[in-house]
Order: sequence, then C-alpha cells, then structure tokens
Amino acid sequence: MAGAQTEGPVSVHLVNHHHGWHDSPVHRLPAAPKLGVALVIIVATVLAPIQWKVLFIGVAVLLVLTAGLSQLPLFFLFRRLLVLSPFVLGVVLVNAFQPAGRDRWLAVAIKSVLCLLTVILISNTTPFSQILRVLKSIRVPALLITTLALMHRYLFVLMDESDRMRRARASRTFTRGRKFRWQTLATVVGQLFICASERAERIYDAMCARGWK
Amino acid sequence: MHIPDGFIDGKTAAVTAVISAAGVGFALRQVRRELPPRRVPLLGLAAAFLFAAQMVNFPVAGGTSGHLVGGTLVAALLGPSAAVVVVTTVLIVQCFLFQDGGVLALGANVFNMAILNSVIGYMIYRVLCHWLTGIRGRVTAIAFAAWCATVLAAISCAGQLAWSGTIPWSVAFPAMATVHMFIGVGEGLISALVFLAVYRARPDLITETVLTGQPQRLGELVGYGLLVTLGVAVFVAPFACSWPDGLDSVADKFGFSHKMAPLLPAPAPNYQVPCIHWAVGATAVAGAAGSLIVFVLALLMGRWLVPKPKDL
Amino acid sequence: MNSAIEITNLKYRYHDGTEALCGVSFRVAPGECAALLGPNGSGKSTLLLHLNGILPEKLSGDGAVKVLGEPVTTKNLEPIRRQVGLVFQDPDDQLFCPTVQEDVAFGPQQLGLGDAEIAARVQKALAQVGLAGFGRRATHHLSHGEKRRVCLAGVLACEPAILVLDEPTSDLDPRGRREFKALLRQIPATKLIATHDLELVVELCSRAIVLDRGSVVADGPMFELLNDEKLMLEHGLERPHILRHQHPH
Repeated sequence: MAGAQTEGPVSVHLVNHHHGWHDSPVHRLPAAPKLGVALVIIVATVLAPIQWKVLFIGVAVLLVLTAGLSQLPLFFLFRRLLVLSPFVLGVVLVNAFQPAGRDRWLAVAIKSVLCLLTVILISNTTPFSQILRVLKSIRVPALLITTLALMHRYLFVLMDESDRMRRARASRTFTRGRKFRWQTLATVVGQLFICASERAERIYDAMCARGWK
Repeated sequence: MHIPDGFIDGKTAAVTAVISAAGVGFALRQVRRELPPRRVPLLGLAAAFLFAAQMVNFPVAGGTSGHLVGGTLVAALLGPSAAVVVVTTVLIVQCFLFQDGGVLALGANVFNMAILNSVIGYMIYRVLCHWLTGIRGRVTAIAFAAWCATVLAAISCAGQLAWSGTIPWSVAFPAMATVHMFIGVGEGLISALVFLAVYRARPDLITETVLTGQPQRLGELVGYGLLVTLGVAVFVAPFACSWPDGLDSVADKFGFSHKMAPLLPAPAPNYQVPCIHWAVGATAVAGAAGSLIVFVLALLMGRWLVPKPKDL
Repeated sequence: MNSAIEITNLKYRYHDGTEALCGVSFRVAPGECAALLGPNGSGKSTLLLHLNGILPEKLSGDGAVKVLGEPVTTKNLEPIRRQVGLVFQDPDDQLFCPTVQEDVAFGPQQLGLGDAEIAARVQKALAQVGLAGFGRRATHHLSHGEKRRVCLAGVLACEPAILVLDEPTSDLDPRGRREFKALLRQIPATKLIATHDLELVVELCSRAIVLDRGSVVADGPMFELLNDEKLMLEHGLERPHILRHQHPH
C-alpha cells in the first residue's frame, strides 16, 4: 500500500486501516444490519449507567467474539485501541483530584473502549462504499454522499502526491532553519490545494464525458 | 479536539446531533444553490486535501509539531457553506475509517470543528477584510480569524464535556482555552502561509471565491449566526455564570464582598480549592488580552510575509 | 464520403491568451485508426477535448467540429458523448468511483439502461479488457496498467462508435504496453490516438496527423510520414526504429 512504508508522518494513519481483504463470516455479513447492531451497541453503552455491569460485560463478550470471528490480527486491534489513551489520561488526571473521580473515569474509560472497539470492527470488516450505500438508503443528501465518496477515492492519491512533493522538496533543502521549513511545508500544502482544485476540474470533465448531468 | 464516544452523555449527544444536522443541512442547501456544477467534485477533493494537509508535520520544538486543522482556511478559499460540508466530510471519514472521534460524538465534533470553526472563522475573516485591504490584509485577517476560531471551538468543546459531567467546567475551560490559545497561533500562522502560497501560485483561485451577491451571503450568515448562537447558549452560557464565582473569590480575597446570583445554577460540582475558580476568571481575562496580542502579531506577520502591499 | 470526425479550421485560446489551436482541419474516416502526433505542448489534448464538447467552455464561431456528420453544439452534447468515448491521459482523473464495477457501470447508468443490461455491459467490457472478475476491487488499489484498462472498459461499456485516446500507453511497462496494444487492435471502432508511442502508431494506425504549436503540419499515410526523418525531427519526434527494418508494401 503506497505510503505505508515511508518514514514520513503521512503513513501513520494509512497503516492504521487494515487493507487486507479477509473473508470471514463477519466480512460477509451485509452492511446494513452490521451498522444497525453497531449503533445499538454504541447507544446502549453510552446511555447505560455504569451500575448496569451485566450490560457492559455482555457487550464486551459480544465484541470479543466478533473480533475473533473476523480474523483481524489481535495486535492490530490492540494498537488501534491505544488511540484513546491521551483522552483517557486527561480525564484520569482531572478526575483524580475529585472525590467521585475514580468511578467517573472508570466509567468513561470502559464506555470509550467498548464503543471504540465496535467502530474498529465495523470499519475493518465493511467496505466504505457499502457504508455509503446504507447512508444513501437512510436518505442522507446525495451531495454529501458524493463528497464522501470522492474524498475516500482521492484520499490516498492526494496523500501520495503530498509525500512526493515533500520528498522532492527535502531533496533540495540544505538549510535546517525552522522558519524555512515552515515556508516550504506551507508551499507544499498550498500546491496540494491547487493540485486538488485542478484535478477536481478534470474529474468533472471525465464525468461529463461519460454523460453525467 | 475530536471527542471520542463515552465522553459526552446522551443528552449532549442528542442536542449536538440535532443542531449539527440542521447546520449541515443548511450548508448543503446553500452549496446546492450557489456552487456551479463544475465545482461539485471540488468539495470531495477539498476534503481529501484537508485530510492530507492535516497530516503534514510543522516542527515546533523538540519532538512536538503543529498541524493544520483548516476550517478557516477552507472557508476563506471556498466560502463558509462549502467549508462546513468539507470539514463535516473529513470528520465523518475520520470517525468511521480512522476512529478519530466517536460516532455519537459526531454531532459535537461537527458543531465544534465544522460549523463553529468554519463559520466564525469566515465571519471574522470577512469583517477584517473590509478594514484591511490587499493581500497583506487578507493574510492578517485569516491568521487572526483562524486563531479566534480555534479558541472558540475549544471553548465549545469544553462546554460540551462539562455539560456531560465528564470534566467540570472550571477545569475544562481553562485547560482547553489556554492550550488552544497556543495551538491557535500555529493554526493562524499555517493558514496564513498556505493562503499566501496559493495566492502566489494561482491568484485566480483566490479572486474566484470573492463574494458575488452580498444580500444572499448576508442571509446565509444570519442563518449560521443563529445556529452558532444557539449552540453557544446551550454549551457555554450556563457555565459562563461561574465566571462571577471566579471573580468572587478574587474579590473576597481583596475584601470586597460581592455576591451575584447566577442566572442558571452551574451544573458543575463545586470545588473547595479556590484557585481553580480563579483559573476560570483568569482564563477569561487572558483570552481577551490574548486576542489583542494575537491581532497585533497577525498584523506584524502580514507585514513581514508580504513585502509590499499588492492590490487584489 | 462520410467522415466519422470532421474538424474544420478549429481555433482555441487558453485563459491567459495563448493560442492553443490555430486553425486545425482534418478528417477521420469511419473505421480508420489515426494517430495524432506532436511534441509536448502542441495542443493534442486540447484538440481531443473538443471532440465531445468539453471544450470550448462557451461555443463561439471559431471553426467547427462534426462527429458522425453532426456538428458539436451545446444542444446535442448528450448524443455526441454517447458516440465518442474519450479515454483521458491520467487514469486517476477518470476512475472516480470506489470500485471497478461501479466505475465501469457509470457510463451505462447515465445512458439510462436497466440494471440487467448494465450488469451485462459491465461484464462484457471487463472481459474485453481482460479484467473479468475485477468488479469488486477498489479502484485505488489497482496497478497503473489495470487502471488504464478499467478506464478503457468504462468507455467501452457505453459502446461508442468512435474511440479517442489521450496517451494511452504512457507510464506503462513493456508488457502493459503490449497488452494494451493487443486490446486496441481488437476494437472495431473508429480510433483517434494522441500518443508519443511511435511503435504503437506503427502497429495499429494507418494514418498519422502531426500537430505542432497548434497547427497541422502533416497529414497522410502513417508509413510515409513516419519514414520522413526530416519531418519527424523537425517537429520534436523521430523516425521509429521499427521502421528502419520495414518497407511499406
């Protein structure tokens, strides 16, 4: 996958999305019921008071079972869960000084982890285009769906362009000054916008060429 | 500033979802009316651009680096409604694909980063552009507008966290506001530099986005203004009356007893530690002073980046 | 004689005023495979965009473009675009759908065909380009050669009478180029190919049109033009090596 092996910062998020197509029972389920169940789990987890321990244990068991069935690598799942850590840490620090603090941060932590695991499982077992189709069926406006689809399609293209531009710039940069670096990076980002703008026009032409109105 | 699931409670999630849905729906309607068909793919491409741009590391000191958030930049380049749609798209993809921000928290995140950030940033940018002319003026305007928008979005976020009872206002507000006053400087600087880079390479892309019909835009801004005011009223106003508490303890210290009944009971639990109350008041004062300082800095920066005033 | 493509005195200026096309005229007969040659910046891509009405943005009186006898105007863009399949230079610009299936189906969908017919066309087009079974693949995961073939499939699915290609084999490795050439050879439509790949021209095209700085500087049988070393060098091209060992019959 382009960008996954670069030392640049761009690669981080790419590596965090599992591109390999597995053929597990979870992958094969249709998107709409998967999303529906996921939403129910998330809503229940967030709304339920922390005293309802049975609910949380039940959800946890369900998620672990699903994770197992999905054949997604455990290490990958665990690493994705760590994205929560700065927030949890922040809440812990804040609530540490409070009398009711410990219970509160525990509740927040448990709920966040369960919800996060749900979204990780869904996103890595459902192609994005299927998610968009479900959104379309619940009457999300067409303009937003088109924008989401185009963003997803050209995400990696633009990140590759960004990588290439920065590498080209870095190859010709011999000063270490921070001010110069900022100027250079800003120029690259500006150029990226121009590229995106010009590409958008060409895409419009390509759409019209095949009859789009 | 992406709030994960579990950090805001049901009522906050519901209220933010309703307000954000209304805001995004309104933005989509505006875009459909104003954007020529030729530029429809630009929304998706701008979203991809924003995502890629957010990944670029601007080195600060040691191992830390700054990143562009970009709501104000996109609003200056494409208009406020397009910016709302673009940033919303980025947030949805970040939520579903990269788990950056929770699903139920989408309403809050969209309100803070897509609606509040873009709209307020755009308003301040446009207002300043009236007084400061030329490309230099625009660069200054976008820098200051981006800073303000960042800080205000952070305050709104703090309000939502407090309203959910996750973090008390008296801690969330000073923490979020002060941290983002610094982060906002980076945002302002990067936005200005990128805006200038685009102008230098393709000035026609900048002038293209100059407003066409003033009255039409006015209606749009009024609509957003109402929405933003509603959000602020719900998330910030209830806590704003704890500011007198902060000032109270300062007043007590100096011997003036001055009791003011709050307009609404502050939902956050009370602290015994007086310095935390004081922090709230101090943050508010710092914010006001900081705005002035940042504005002056933005002016100086504009002068430095653009050697001679050029007419746009 | 009925022409598939008839261009008369076509002129076009870029936004900054530079003249891209200065009175271009030529004809392409039905079933013919013609090559559009010329150095970079000669106006080839700009010319191709006129064939399905993408350019000019506003129709003015500068010259005329006729496709299958019909002039290209704002009123008949739809039928024109159904008959002219344009394959763009950068496959990433053309492959804007998330999956191969959806992208190839885009054209037929715009034509208003039924679901069954669309599915049939998609299958046929993918088979034609040797990518049967690629339907579920994500477009951004394809190799460059595969992307180019999906672009071709997307255009073939509309079953156009005229196929217009802009640099179809650039960036392809030798095997990719061979495979693409073999594909093109099997398509019976009228073809106009803008290219630098002179070997492709020798193998597929019977006619060559040379464009330089917006004007047609040569137009005739492919062997004759490509063998004219002086002409080739004068206009930023060269006599292809493959011809040094061949003789026109």
